[in-house]
Amino acid sequence: MKPFRARGGAVVARLDSAEAGIVGLLLDQLDQLLSADVADVGDDPVLARLLPDGHRSDPAMAADYRDLTESALRSGKGDDLATVRATLPPHGGEVRLDVDQAGAWLRTTNDLRLALGTRLDVTEDTEPPADLTDERDHQLGVYYWLTAVQGSLVDALVDARAGRR
Amino acid sequence: MAGPLAPERTPDTIVDEENDLDRPWVTIVWNDPVNLMNYVTFVLQELFGYDEPTATKLMLQVHHEGRAIVSSGPRERMEHDTSRLHAYGLWASYQKDS
Repeated sequence: MKPFRARGGAVVARLDSAEAGIVGLLLDQLDQLLSADVADVGDDPVLARLLPDGHRSDPAMAADYRDLTESALRSGKGDDLATVRATLPPHGGEVRLDVDQAGAWLRTTNDLRLALGTRLDVTEDTEPPADLTDERDHQLGVYYWLTAVQGSLVDALVDARAGRR
Repeated sequence: MAGPLAPERTPDTIVDEENDLDRPWVTIVWNDPVNLMNYVTFVLQELFGYDEPTATKLMLQVHHEGRAIVSSGPRERMEHDTSRLHAYGLWASYQKDS
């Protein structure tokens, strides 16, 4: 991976073939998760993190909030996901994004990290895996790889914004 | 927020107090172990138009104190702000200011 950099009005990165394949798989999983039934939200910690309660202590208000906002939240995530899919080179290569596309990548890579982080019980003290000996290490490796992708995207967007001023 | 040209408040401007009663709601961002510090700062700037030092200060407050109030106003607006933060995956909720 070559991390995201601001270039002109765009941000540019480069993914190798295996990395693009992993992102594609993760997008499929996220897509499946987001099309799960509303009734499942409470049972699945990942879904509960991606579609959180709006109010913490008043269940009626939290239910109202969910009625009001959840379908828009889901469809927004779906749109972002479609944008990432459309701009991901399936066999690796350059990823070149305008500001709107970069926003979609930002939110989607964050959702992927939230999903993985919740599944893996990541805390602020979790360290990147030293060797990849088991499945959890591999997933944690992917999590930290996504962290690097997203971190570089934020920095590139800050640079791009400064360049527009 | 009153600008420099706003009239000074006088005892008979009851409207302000009515507005105060209408505005006891806040939007809170809670600390979570996944969201990156530069991401949270970036999102607060994008959504609320905060300058970089203000957004950074709020992000650090979330990080160190576990939560920060990022906006306040009528309930409907706090619901809206919460949903915009949820779209970015920040862990947010709204409530009556305590």
